[in-house]
Amino acid sequence: MDYILDVQDIHTFIGQYHILQGVSVRVPRGSITALLGRNGAGKTTTLKSILGLTPPRQGKIMFEGNEIQGMLSFNIASLGIGFVPENRSIFRDLSVEENLKIAERKKGDYAGKKGFIFTLFPDLKRLINLSGINLSGGQQQMLAIARALVADNCLLLIDEPSEGLAPVLIEQLMKAIQQLSAYSTVVLVEQNFLVASQLAEYYVIIEEGRSVKEGKMKDLTNDKATIQHYLGAA
Amino acid sequence: MANHKPFFALKPDRGMLIALLVFILLPFVIGLFDGASPAQVWMNGSGQSKFIQGLAIEIFILALYALSYDLIFGFTGLLSFGHSMFFAVGAYLTGILLKNFGFSLAATFGMIFVASILQALLFGMVLPRVKGITFALVTLGMASVFHVLVLSTELGKFTGSDVGLQGVVVPDFISPATERLRLYFITLTILVVVFMLYKRFVNSTTGRVCTAIRENEGRALMLGYNTFYFKLAALMLSSLTAALAGMMHSIYQPIVSPNVAGLGFTVTALLIILIGGVGTLNGAIIGAVAYRLLDYGLRRYIGESASFINGAVYVLIVLFLPFGIVGTWRMKSLQINQGWKRLLGMFTNSQDKSDGA
Repeated sequence: MDYILDVQDIHTFIGQYHILQGVSVRVPRGSITALLGRNGAGKTTTLKSILGLTPPRQGKIMFEGNEIQGMLSFNIASLGIGFVPENRSIFRDLSVEENLKIAERKKGDYAGKKGFIFTLFPDLKRLINLSGINLSGGQQQMLAIARALVADNCLLLIDEPSEGLAPVLIEQLMKAIQQLSAYSTVVLVEQNFLVASQLAEYYVIIEEGRSVKEGKMKDLTNDKATIQHYLGAA
Repeated sequence: MANHKPFFALKPDRGMLIALLVFILLPFVIGLFDGASPAQVWMNGSGQSKFIQGLAIEIFILALYALSYDLIFGFTGLLSFGHSMFFAVGAYLTGILLKNFGFSLAATFGMIFVASILQALLFGMVLPRVKGITFALVTLGMASVFHVLVLSTELGKFTGSDVGLQGVVVPDFISPATERLRLYFITLTILVVVFMLYKRFVNSTTGRVCTAIRENEGRALMLGYNTFYFKLAALMLSSLTAALAGMMHSIYQPIVSPNVAGLGFTVTALLIILIGGVGTLNGAIIGAVAYRLLDYGLRRYIGESASFINGAVYVLIVLFLPFGIVGTWRMKSLQINQGWKRLLGMFTNSQDKSDGA
Protein backbone atom coordinates (compact mmCIF):
# COMPACT_ATOMS: atom_id res chain seq x y z
CA MET A 1 0.00 0.00 0.00
CA ASP A 2 1.13 3.56 -0.71
CA TYR A 3 1.52 5.45 2.57
CA ILE A 4 1.67 9.26 2.46
CA LEU A 5 2.62 9.42 6.15
CA ASP A 6 4.52 6.80 8.09
CA VAL A 7 5.15 7.52 11.77
CA GLN A 8 7.53 4.91 13.18
CA ASP A 9 7.76 4.33 16.90
CA ILE A 10 8.04 7.95 18.04
CA HIS A 11 8.80 8.99 21.60
CA THR A 12 7.89 12.52 22.64
CA PHE A 13 8.55 14.35 25.88
CA ILE A 14 6.78 17.45 27.14
CA GLY A 15 9.10 18.88 29.75
CA GLN A 16 10.12 15.90 31.87
CA TYR A 17 7.01 13.87 30.99
CA HIS A 18 7.36 10.99 28.55
CA ILE A 19 4.05 11.46 26.71
CA LEU A 20 4.45 9.31 23.61
CA GLN A 21 6.17 6.04 24.36
CA GLY A 22 6.11 4.38 20.99
CA VAL A 23 3.45 5.54 18.56
CA SER A 24 3.34 4.21 15.01
CA VAL A 25 0.79 5.43 12.50
CA ARG A 26 0.62 4.59 8.81
CA VAL A 27 -1.71 6.67 6.68
CA PRO A 28 -2.66 5.33 3.23
CA ARG A 29 -2.78 8.00 0.52
CA GLY A 30 -6.27 9.33 -0.18
CA SER A 31 -7.78 7.82 2.96
CA ILE A 32 -9.33 9.16 6.15
CA THR A 33 -7.51 7.66 9.13
CA ALA A 34 -8.85 8.19 12.63
CA LEU A 35 -6.66 8.33 15.73
CA LEU A 36 -8.79 6.98 18.53
CA GLY A 37 -8.25 6.76 22.25
CA ARG A 38 -9.39 8.04 25.59
CA ASN A 39 -8.72 11.54 26.89
CA GLY A 40 -5.02 12.10 27.49
CA ALA A 41 -3.97 9.04 25.49
CA GLY A 42 -1.61 11.11 23.31
CA LYS A 43 -3.63 11.67 20.12
CA THR A 44 -3.14 15.44 19.91
CA THR A 45 0.53 15.09 20.93
CA THR A 46 0.95 12.68 18.01
CA LEU A 47 -0.37 15.33 15.62
CA LYS A 48 1.85 17.97 17.22
CA SER A 49 4.86 15.67 16.94
CA ILE A 50 4.19 15.16 13.23
CA LEU A 51 4.05 18.95 12.84
CA GLY A 52 7.22 19.57 14.82
CA LEU A 53 5.42 21.52 17.54
CA THR A 54 6.49 18.93 20.13
CA PRO A 55 9.39 17.27 18.27
CA PRO A 56 9.92 13.58 19.02
CA ARG A 57 13.21 12.54 20.65
CA GLN A 58 13.17 9.09 19.10
CA GLY A 59 11.60 7.46 16.10
CA LYS A 60 11.06 8.45 12.52
CA ILE A 61 8.38 10.40 10.69
CA MET A 62 8.27 9.87 6.92
CA PHE A 63 6.13 12.15 4.77
CA GLU A 64 5.99 11.40 1.05
CA GLY A 65 9.02 9.15 1.59
CA ASN A 66 11.16 11.83 3.24
CA GLU A 67 12.13 12.11 6.89
CA ILE A 68 10.60 15.21 8.46
CA GLN A 69 11.37 14.82 12.15
CA GLY A 70 13.73 17.54 13.33
CA MET A 71 12.48 20.01 10.71
CA LEU A 72 11.02 23.35 11.85
CA SER A 73 7.22 23.63 11.99
CA PHE A 74 6.87 26.17 9.20
CA ASN A 75 9.02 24.04 6.92
CA ILE A 76 6.91 20.97 7.68
CA ALA A 77 3.73 22.95 6.98
CA SER A 78 5.23 24.17 3.69
CA LEU A 79 5.62 20.58 2.52
CA GLY A 80 1.83 20.45 2.23
CA ILE A 81 0.54 19.51 5.64
CA GLY A 82 -2.47 21.47 6.87
CA PHE A 83 -3.48 21.51 10.51
CA VAL A 84 -6.90 22.23 12.01
CA PRO A 85 -6.28 22.47 15.75
CA GLU A 86 -8.62 21.44 18.53
CA ASN A 87 -9.33 24.98 19.70
CA ARG A 88 -9.87 26.20 16.12
CA SER A 89 -7.39 29.06 16.58
CA ILE A 90 -8.74 31.33 13.92
CA PHE A 91 -7.37 34.86 13.95
CA ARG A 92 -10.04 36.84 15.77
CA ASP A 93 -9.04 40.30 14.59
CA LEU A 94 -8.93 39.30 10.93
CA SER A 95 -12.04 39.02 8.77
CA VAL A 96 -13.15 35.68 7.33
CA GLU A 97 -11.61 36.62 3.99
CA GLU A 98 -8.34 37.74 5.61
CA ASN A 99 -8.24 34.49 7.60
CA LEU A 100 -8.49 32.59 4.34
CA LYS A 101 -6.08 34.80 2.39
CA ILE A 102 -3.39 34.52 5.03
CA ALA A 103 -3.28 30.76 4.40
CA GLU A 104 -2.14 31.28 0.80
CA ARG A 105 1.18 29.66 0.13
CA LYS A 106 1.43 31.13 -3.32
CA LYS A 107 -0.40 34.02 -4.92
CA GLY A 108 -3.76 32.97 -6.32
CA ASP A 109 -4.31 30.02 -3.95
CA TYR A 110 -7.35 31.69 -2.41
CA ALA A 111 -8.80 32.86 -5.72
CA GLY A 112 -8.42 29.36 -7.12
CA LYS A 113 -9.94 27.57 -4.15
CA LYS A 114 -12.69 29.89 -2.97
CA GLY A 115 -15.30 28.31 -5.25
CA PHE A 116 -14.64 24.89 -3.72
CA ILE A 117 -14.48 26.32 -0.18
CA PHE A 118 -17.78 28.15 -0.49
CA THR A 119 -19.42 25.04 -1.93
CA LEU A 120 -18.30 23.12 1.14
CA PHE A 121 -19.15 25.90 3.58
CA PRO A 122 -21.77 28.22 2.02
CA ASP A 123 -22.14 30.10 5.32
CA LEU A 124 -18.61 31.49 5.03
CA LYS A 125 -19.47 33.34 1.82
CA ARG A 126 -22.20 35.23 3.64
CA LEU A 127 -19.86 36.05 6.55
CA ILE A 128 -16.87 36.97 4.39
CA ASN A 129 -16.34 40.45 5.87
CA LEU A 130 -17.10 39.56 9.49
CA SER A 131 -14.27 39.47 12.02
CA GLY A 132 -13.31 36.08 13.39
CA ILE A 133 -14.31 37.19 16.87
CA ASN A 134 -17.93 37.53 15.76
CA LEU A 135 -18.28 33.96 14.48
CA SER A 136 -20.06 31.19 16.36
CA GLY A 137 -18.21 28.02 17.38
CA GLY A 138 -19.47 26.11 14.36
CA GLN A 139 -18.59 28.91 11.96
CA GLN A 140 -15.11 29.13 13.50
CA GLN A 141 -14.63 25.39 12.97
CA MET A 142 -15.70 25.70 9.34
CA LEU A 143 -13.32 28.61 8.87
CA ALA A 144 -10.48 26.66 10.49
CA ILE A 145 -11.01 23.74 8.09
CA ALA A 146 -11.52 26.06 5.12
CA ARG A 147 -8.24 27.79 5.94
CA ALA A 148 -6.40 24.48 5.75
CA LEU A 149 -7.87 23.99 2.28
CA VAL A 150 -6.61 27.26 0.78
CA ALA A 151 -3.06 26.05 0.19
CA ASP A 152 -2.34 22.86 -1.74
CA ASN A 153 -2.17 20.58 1.28
CA CYS A 154 -2.02 16.92 0.40
CA LEU A 155 -2.40 15.93 4.06
CA LEU A 156 -4.83 17.44 6.55
CA LEU A 157 -4.54 16.83 10.28
CA ILE A 158 -7.86 17.62 11.93
CA ASP A 159 -8.06 17.62 15.70
CA GLU A 160 -11.45 17.05 17.36
CA PRO A 161 -13.61 18.80 14.74
CA SER A 162 -16.90 17.93 16.42
CA GLU A 163 -15.95 19.11 19.89
CA GLY A 164 -18.52 21.47 21.37
CA LEU A 165 -20.70 21.60 18.26
CA ALA A 166 -24.45 21.09 17.93
CA PRO A 167 -25.51 17.81 16.21
CA VAL A 168 -26.77 19.62 13.12
CA LEU A 169 -23.39 21.31 12.66
CA ILE A 170 -21.54 18.03 13.22
CA GLU A 171 -23.51 16.52 10.34
CA GLN A 172 -22.61 19.45 8.11
CA LEU A 173 -18.94 19.14 9.07
CA MET A 174 -18.92 15.40 8.45
CA LYS A 175 -20.25 15.96 4.94
CA ALA A 176 -17.58 18.57 4.32
CA ILE A 177 -14.76 16.33 5.59
CA GLN A 178 -16.04 13.48 3.42
CA GLN A 179 -16.06 15.77 0.37
CA LEU A 180 -12.62 17.19 0.96
CA SER A 181 -11.13 13.71 1.39
CA ALA A 182 -11.50 13.38 -2.37
CA TYR A 183 -8.70 15.96 -2.73
CA SER A 184 -6.57 15.36 0.31
CA THR A 185 -5.59 12.60 2.75
CA VAL A 186 -7.05 13.21 6.21
CA VAL A 187 -5.86 12.23 9.67
CA LEU A 188 -8.65 12.77 12.13
CA VAL A 189 -8.47 12.86 15.90
CA GLU A 190 -11.97 12.33 17.20
CA GLN A 191 -13.40 11.51 20.62
CA ASN A 192 -16.85 10.88 19.22
CA PHE A 193 -16.59 7.30 18.00
CA LEU A 194 -19.84 7.54 16.04
CA VAL A 195 -18.43 10.43 14.00
CA ALA A 196 -15.05 8.76 13.53
CA SER A 197 -16.54 5.42 12.49
CA GLN A 198 -18.74 7.06 9.86
CA LEU A 199 -15.91 9.09 8.36
CA ALA A 200 -12.75 7.02 8.56
CA GLU A 201 -11.66 4.00 6.56
CA TYR A 202 -8.71 3.19 8.81
CA TYR A 203 -8.03 3.63 12.52
CA VAL A 204 -5.18 3.60 14.99
CA ILE A 205 -5.93 3.26 18.71
CA ILE A 206 -3.57 5.07 21.05
CA GLU A 207 -3.53 4.05 24.70
CA GLU A 208 -1.31 5.70 27.34
CA GLY A 209 1.11 7.05 24.75
CA ARG A 210 1.41 3.85 22.71
CA SER A 211 -0.29 2.77 19.52
CA VAL A 212 -1.94 -0.50 20.44
CA LYS A 213 -4.14 -1.45 17.52
CA GLU A 214 -4.68 -0.48 13.91
CA GLY A 215 -6.72 -1.67 10.99
CA LYS A 216 -9.79 -1.04 8.92
CA MET A 217 -12.63 0.88 10.55
CA LYS A 218 -15.29 -1.55 9.31
CA ASP A 219 -13.54 -4.35 11.21
CA LEU A 220 -13.43 -2.25 14.37
CA THR A 221 -17.10 -1.35 14.25
CA ASN A 222 -17.89 -5.07 14.40
CA ASP A 223 -15.48 -5.66 17.27
CA LYS A 224 -17.52 -4.47 20.25
CA ALA A 225 -15.08 -5.89 22.78
CA THR A 226 -12.16 -3.78 21.46
CA ILE A 227 -14.31 -0.68 21.33
CA GLN A 228 -15.46 -1.28 24.90
CA HIS A 229 -11.94 -2.03 26.12
CA TYR A 230 -10.06 0.87 24.56
CA LEU A 231 -12.66 3.51 23.96
CA GLY A 232 -15.28 2.81 26.61
CA ALA A 233 -18.00 3.02 23.96
CA ALA A 234 -20.25 0.23 22.87
CA MET B 1 -7.49 43.07 -16.98
CA ALA B 2 -4.63 43.36 -14.52
CA ASN B 3 -5.52 45.13 -11.33
CA HIS B 4 -2.78 47.71 -10.78
CA LYS B 5 -3.00 49.04 -7.27
CA PRO B 6 -0.93 52.15 -6.51
CA PHE B 7 1.37 51.79 -3.52
CA PHE B 8 -0.49 54.39 -1.48
CA ALA B 9 -3.96 53.28 -2.49
CA LEU B 10 -5.69 53.73 0.87
CA LYS B 11 -9.27 54.09 1.90
CA PRO B 12 -9.86 57.78 2.50
CA ASP B 13 -9.73 58.38 6.24
CA ARG B 14 -11.97 61.40 6.69
CA GLY B 15 -10.91 62.04 10.28
CA MET B 16 -7.22 62.01 9.44
CA LEU B 17 -7.73 64.26 6.38
CA ILE B 18 -9.53 66.79 8.58
CA ALA B 19 -6.73 66.54 11.15
CA LEU B 20 -4.16 67.14 8.39
CA LEU B 21 -6.05 70.20 7.19
CA VAL B 22 -6.24 71.52 10.77
CA PHE B 23 -2.48 71.06 11.22
CA ILE B 24 -1.75 72.78 7.90
CA LEU B 25 -3.85 75.81 8.82
CA LEU B 26 -3.03 75.84 12.54
CA PRO B 27 0.01 78.19 12.50
CA PHE B 28 -1.84 80.75 10.37
CA VAL B 29 -5.09 80.61 12.36
CA ILE B 30 -3.21 81.00 15.65
CA GLY B 31 -1.30 83.89 14.06
CA LEU B 32 -4.56 85.61 13.11
CA PHE B 33 -5.82 85.34 16.70
CA ASP B 34 -2.52 86.82 17.83
CA GLY B 35 -2.80 89.72 15.37
CA ALA B 36 -0.15 88.39 12.95
CA SER B 37 -0.95 88.18 9.25
CA PRO B 38 -0.32 84.90 7.36
CA ALA B 39 2.61 86.65 5.67
CA GLN B 40 4.18 87.41 9.05
CA VAL B 41 3.67 83.80 10.14
CA TRP B 42 5.19 82.66 6.83
CA MET B 43 8.25 84.84 7.54
CA ASN B 44 8.66 83.10 10.92
CA GLY B 45 7.73 86.10 13.00
CA SER B 46 7.79 85.52 16.74
CA GLY B 47 4.58 85.22 18.73
CA GLN B 48 1.97 82.75 19.80
CA SER B 49 1.97 80.98 16.43
CA LYS B 50 5.68 80.20 16.67
CA PHE B 51 5.20 78.81 20.15
CA ILE B 52 2.30 76.61 19.03
CA GLN B 53 4.39 75.40 16.07
CA GLY B 54 7.02 74.26 18.57
CA LEU B 55 4.46 72.43 20.67
CA ALA B 56 3.02 70.79 17.56
CA ILE B 57 6.51 69.67 16.40
CA GLU B 58 6.96 67.96 19.77
CA ILE B 59 3.58 66.26 19.28
CA PHE B 60 4.52 65.10 15.77
CA ILE B 61 7.79 63.65 17.07
CA LEU B 62 6.00 61.88 19.93
CA ALA B 63 3.40 60.58 17.47
CA LEU B 64 6.15 59.15 15.23
CA TYR B 65 7.73 57.49 18.23
CA ALA B 66 4.37 56.11 19.45
CA LEU B 67 3.51 54.83 15.94
CA SER B 68 6.75 52.86 15.94
CA TYR B 69 5.83 51.28 19.28
CA ASP B 70 2.29 50.54 18.13
CA LEU B 71 3.69 48.59 15.18
CA ILE B 72 5.72 46.19 17.29
CA PHE B 73 3.49 46.02 20.36
CA GLY B 74 0.01 46.79 19.03
CA PHE B 75 0.24 44.88 15.76
CA THR B 76 2.97 42.27 16.19
CA GLY B 77 2.55 41.63 19.91
CA LEU B 78 6.21 42.16 20.81
CA LEU B 79 6.33 43.74 24.23
CA SER B 80 9.62 45.63 24.35
CA PHE B 81 10.85 47.56 27.38
CA GLY B 82 13.85 48.80 25.43
CA HIS B 83 12.09 50.83 22.77
CA SER B 84 13.56 54.10 24.01
CA MET B 85 16.93 52.87 22.75
CA PHE B 86 15.65 53.03 19.16
CA PHE B 87 14.74 56.69 19.67
CA ALA B 88 17.86 57.56 21.66
CA VAL B 89 20.21 56.07 19.06
CA GLY B 90 18.63 58.35 16.43
CA ALA B 91 18.80 61.37 18.71
CA TYR B 92 22.37 60.87 19.93
CA LEU B 93 23.74 59.85 16.55
CA THR B 94 22.23 62.95 14.93
CA GLY B 95 23.64 65.19 17.63
CA ILE B 96 27.11 63.65 17.58
CA LEU B 97 27.43 63.49 13.80
CA LEU B 98 26.22 67.07 13.29
CA LYS B 99 28.16 68.55 16.20
CA ASN B 100 31.39 66.55 16.40
CA PHE B 101 31.89 65.32 12.87
CA GLY B 102 30.24 68.02 10.75
CA PHE B 103 28.16 65.53 8.75
CA SER B 104 25.54 66.80 6.33
CA LEU B 105 21.90 66.09 7.13
CA ALA B 106 21.65 63.53 4.30
CA ALA B 107 24.78 61.68 5.47
CA THR B 108 23.44 61.75 9.03
CA PHE B 109 20.18 60.21 7.86
CA GLY B 110 22.14 57.53 6.01
CA MET B 111 24.04 56.68 9.19
CA ILE B 112 20.80 56.59 11.18
CA PHE B 113 19.30 54.24 8.62
CA VAL B 114 22.23 51.85 9.04
CA ALA B 115 22.22 52.18 12.84
CA SER B 116 18.49 51.53 13.07
CA ILE B 117 18.80 48.35 11.01
CA LEU B 118 21.70 47.20 13.20
CA GLN B 119 19.85 47.82 16.45
CA ALA B 120 16.79 45.99 15.11
CA LEU B 121 19.07 43.06 14.25
CA LEU B 122 20.47 43.22 17.78
CA PHE B 123 16.96 42.92 19.23
CA GLY B 124 16.11 40.36 16.55
CA MET B 125 18.97 38.09 17.63
CA VAL B 126 17.02 37.06 20.72
CA LEU B 127 13.66 36.72 18.96
CA PRO B 128 13.88 32.98 18.26
CA ARG B 129 14.81 32.24 21.86
CA VAL B 130 12.62 34.45 24.02
CA LYS B 131 8.99 35.50 23.98
CA GLY B 132 6.57 37.63 25.99
CA ILE B 133 7.83 39.08 29.22
CA THR B 134 11.27 37.48 28.75
CA PHE B 135 11.68 39.38 25.48
CA ALA B 136 10.60 42.55 27.30
CA LEU B 137 13.25 42.00 29.99
CA VAL B 138 16.01 41.16 27.52
CA THR B 139 15.27 44.32 25.51
CA LEU B 140 15.22 46.29 28.78
CA GLY B 141 18.67 44.88 29.51
CA MET B 142 19.99 45.97 26.11
CA ALA B 143 18.50 49.45 26.45
CA SER B 144 19.89 49.75 29.99
CA VAL B 145 23.39 49.01 28.70
CA PHE B 146 22.93 51.78 26.12
CA HIS B 147 21.63 54.13 28.85
CA VAL B 148 24.71 53.40 30.99
CA LEU B 149 26.94 54.07 27.97
CA VAL B 150 25.47 57.50 27.26
CA LEU B 151 25.78 58.39 30.95
CA SER B 152 29.38 57.19 31.20
CA THR B 153 32.10 59.78 31.65
CA GLU B 154 34.32 57.96 29.15
CA LEU B 155 31.90 58.83 26.35
CA GLY B 156 31.03 62.19 27.93
CA LYS B 157 32.98 64.04 25.24
CA PHE B 158 30.38 62.90 22.72
CA THR B 159 27.22 62.26 24.72
CA GLY B 160 27.55 64.95 27.37
CA SER B 161 27.19 62.27 30.03
CA ASP B 162 24.44 63.03 32.60
CA VAL B 163 24.12 66.66 31.43
CA GLY B 164 23.10 65.49 27.97
CA LEU B 165 24.31 66.36 24.51
CA GLN B 166 24.17 70.14 24.19
CA GLY B 167 24.49 72.55 21.30
CA VAL B 168 23.65 70.33 18.35
CA VAL B 169 24.59 72.23 15.19
CA VAL B 170 21.46 72.31 13.06
CA PRO B 171 21.62 73.35 9.38
CA ASP B 172 20.23 76.86 8.91
CA PHE B 173 17.45 75.86 6.54
CA ILE B 174 15.70 73.87 9.28
CA SER B 175 16.83 75.85 12.29
CA PRO B 176 14.07 75.73 14.93
CA ALA B 177 14.88 79.32 15.85
CA THR B 178 14.75 80.96 12.41
CA GLU B 179 12.95 78.44 10.17
CA ARG B 180 10.46 76.93 12.56
CA LEU B 181 7.55 76.93 10.13
CA ARG B 182 9.61 74.97 7.62
CA LEU B 183 10.63 72.51 10.34
CA TYR B 184 6.97 72.29 11.33
CA PHE B 185 5.90 71.30 7.82
CA ILE B 186 8.84 68.93 7.33
CA THR B 187 7.99 67.10 10.57
CA LEU B 188 4.30 67.04 9.64
CA THR B 189 5.17 65.63 6.20
CA ILE B 190 7.35 62.92 7.74
CA LEU B 191 4.49 61.98 10.09
CA VAL B 192 1.96 61.82 7.24
CA VAL B 193 4.27 59.73 5.03
CA VAL B 194 5.14 57.34 7.88
CA PHE B 195 1.45 57.04 8.82
CA MET B 196 0.49 56.16 5.21
CA LEU B 197 3.38 53.72 4.98
CA TYR B 198 2.27 52.06 8.22
CA LYS B 199 -1.35 51.87 7.02
CA ARG B 200 -0.12 50.20 3.87
CA PHE B 201 2.09 47.85 5.89
CA VAL B 202 -0.59 46.69 8.32
CA ASN B 203 -3.06 46.10 5.47
CA SER B 204 -0.53 44.10 3.46
CA THR B 205 -0.05 40.34 3.71
CA THR B 206 3.04 40.98 5.84
CA GLY B 207 0.98 43.16 8.18
CA ARG B 208 -1.73 40.52 8.45
CA VAL B 209 0.86 37.90 9.30
CA CYS B 210 2.14 40.26 12.03
CA THR B 211 -1.42 40.48 13.41
CA ALA B 212 -1.65 36.68 13.19
CA ILE B 213 1.62 36.38 15.13
CA ARG B 214 0.24 38.65 17.84
CA GLU B 215 -2.89 36.52 18.13
CA ASN B 216 -1.36 33.06 17.84
CA GLU B 217 2.20 32.58 16.69
CA GLY B 218 1.86 28.80 16.65
CA ARG B 219 -0.96 29.02 14.12
CA ALA B 220 1.05 31.37 11.92
CA LEU B 221 3.90 28.84 11.99
CA MET B 222 1.51 26.06 11.06
CA LEU B 223 0.39 28.02 8.03
CA GLY B 224 3.99 27.81 6.85
CA TYR B 225 5.20 31.28 7.85
CA ASN B 226 8.66 31.69 9.30
CA THR B 227 7.45 34.15 11.93
CA PHE B 228 10.99 35.26 12.78
CA TYR B 229 11.36 37.19 9.51
CA PHE B 230 8.02 38.94 9.95
CA LYS B 231 8.85 40.00 13.51
CA LEU B 232 12.25 41.18 12.33
CA ALA B 233 10.66 43.19 9.51
CA ALA B 234 8.33 44.88 12.00
CA LEU B 235 11.27 45.56 14.34
CA MET B 236 13.31 47.12 11.52
CA LEU B 237 10.51 49.40 10.38
CA SER B 238 9.78 50.36 13.96
CA SER B 239 13.45 50.98 14.74
CA LEU B 240 13.86 53.18 11.66
CA THR B 241 10.78 55.22 12.55
CA ALA B 242 11.80 55.68 16.18
CA ALA B 243 15.33 56.67 15.13
CA LEU B 244 13.87 59.17 12.66
CA ALA B 245 11.76 60.58 15.50
CA GLY B 246 14.96 60.80 17.57
CA MET B 247 16.69 62.62 14.72
CA MET B 248 13.88 65.20 14.49
CA HIS B 249 13.98 65.56 18.30
CA SER B 250 17.70 66.33 18.15
CA ILE B 251 17.16 68.90 15.41
CA TYR B 252 14.25 70.61 17.14
CA GLN B 253 15.50 70.78 20.74
CA PRO B 254 18.57 70.89 19.88
CA ILE B 255 19.85 69.08 22.97
CA VAL B 256 19.54 65.40 23.85
CA SER B 257 18.80 64.50 27.46
CA PRO B 258 19.88 61.03 28.67
CA ASN B 259 16.27 60.58 29.86
CA VAL B 260 15.30 59.64 26.31
CA ALA B 261 17.37 56.47 26.68
CA GLY B 262 15.72 55.41 29.94
CA LEU B 263 12.86 53.06 30.72
CA GLY B 264 10.63 56.06 31.45
CA PHE B 265 10.65 57.07 27.81
CA THR B 266 9.56 53.57 26.73
CA VAL B 267 6.71 53.88 29.22
CA THR B 268 5.82 57.20 27.56
CA ALA B 269 5.31 55.38 24.24
CA LEU B 270 3.25 52.70 25.95
CA LEU B 271 1.17 55.32 27.73
CA ILE B 272 0.51 57.23 24.50
CA ILE B 273 -0.80 54.17 22.67
CA LEU B 274 -2.81 53.09 25.71
CA ILE B 275 -4.46 56.53 25.71
CA GLY B 276 -5.01 56.53 21.96
CA GLY B 277 -5.80 52.85 21.47
CA VAL B 278 -3.40 49.93 21.08
CA GLY B 279 -3.15 48.54 17.55
CA THR B 280 -5.08 51.35 15.89
CA LEU B 281 -2.34 53.61 14.39
CA ASN B 282 -4.67 56.64 14.54
CA GLY B 283 -4.57 56.15 18.30
CA ALA B 284 -0.82 56.77 18.39
CA ILE B 285 -1.33 60.25 16.91
CA ILE B 286 -4.40 61.09 18.99
CA GLY B 287 -2.67 59.72 22.09
CA ALA B 288 0.39 61.90 21.42
CA VAL B 289 -1.81 65.00 21.11
CA ALA B 290 -3.67 64.15 24.34
CA TYR B 291 -0.49 63.24 26.22
CA ARG B 292 1.51 66.34 25.28
CA LEU B 293 -1.35 68.82 25.69
CA LEU B 294 -2.34 67.37 29.05
CA ASP B 295 1.24 67.47 30.24
CA TYR B 296 1.74 71.01 28.94
CA GLY B 297 -1.59 72.31 30.28
CA LEU B 298 -1.18 70.84 33.75
CA ARG B 299 2.43 71.96 34.08
CA ARG B 300 1.54 75.46 33.00
CA TYR B 301 -1.33 75.91 35.42
CA ILE B 302 -0.36 73.66 38.32
CA GLY B 303 3.41 73.47 38.12
CA GLU B 304 5.57 70.52 39.10
CA SER B 305 2.80 68.81 41.08
CA ALA B 306 1.10 68.28 37.72
CA SER B 307 2.73 64.84 37.52
CA PHE B 308 0.42 63.64 40.30
CA ILE B 309 -2.74 64.74 38.45
CA ASN B 310 -1.24 63.51 35.17
CA GLY B 311 -0.89 60.05 36.65
CA ALA B 312 -4.44 60.11 38.02
CA VAL B 313 -5.79 61.13 34.61
CA TYR B 314 -3.94 58.24 32.93
CA VAL B 315 -5.37 55.80 35.44
CA LEU B 316 -8.87 57.16 34.77
CA ILE B 317 -8.37 56.89 31.00
CA VAL B 318 -7.23 53.28 31.28
CA LEU B 319 -10.14 52.48 33.63
CA PHE B 320 -12.90 54.16 31.65
CA LEU B 321 -11.51 53.88 28.13
CA PRO B 322 -9.92 50.42 28.29
CA PHE B 323 -9.50 50.31 24.51
CA GLY B 324 -8.11 53.85 24.36
CA ILE B 325 -9.78 56.83 22.70
CA VAL B 326 -9.81 55.38 19.16
CA GLY B 327 -10.58 51.80 20.21
CA THR B 328 -13.50 52.89 22.40
CA TRP B 329 -14.75 55.29 19.72
CA ARG B 330 -14.76 52.48 17.15
CA MET B 331 -16.77 50.25 19.46
CA LYS B 332 -19.20 52.97 20.46
CA SER B 333 -19.63 54.28 16.91
CA LEU B 334 -20.68 50.79 15.86
CA GLN B 335 -23.30 50.81 18.61
CA ILE B 336 -24.35 54.37 17.72
CA ASN B 337 -24.68 53.39 14.05
CA GLN B 338 -26.76 50.37 14.99
CA GLY B 339 -28.88 52.58 17.27
CA TRP B 340 -29.45 55.08 14.45
CA LYS B 341 -30.40 52.26 12.09
CA ARG B 342 -32.87 50.91 14.66
CA LEU B 343 -34.33 54.37 15.21
CA LEU B 344 -34.62 55.06 11.48
CA GLY B 345 -36.06 51.58 11.04
CA MET B 346 -38.76 52.36 13.59
CA PHE B 347 -39.74 55.55 11.74
CA THR B 348 -39.59 53.86 8.35
CA ASN B 349 -41.72 50.99 9.61
CA SER B 350 -44.28 53.31 11.21
CA GLN B 351 -44.28 55.37 7.97
CA ASP B 352 -44.89 52.17 5.98
CA LYS B 353 -47.69 51.19 8.34
CA SER B 354 -49.37 54.60 8.13
CA ASP B 355 -48.99 54.53 4.32
CA GLY B 356 -50.56 51.10 4.31
CA ALA B 357 -53.42 52.25 6.50
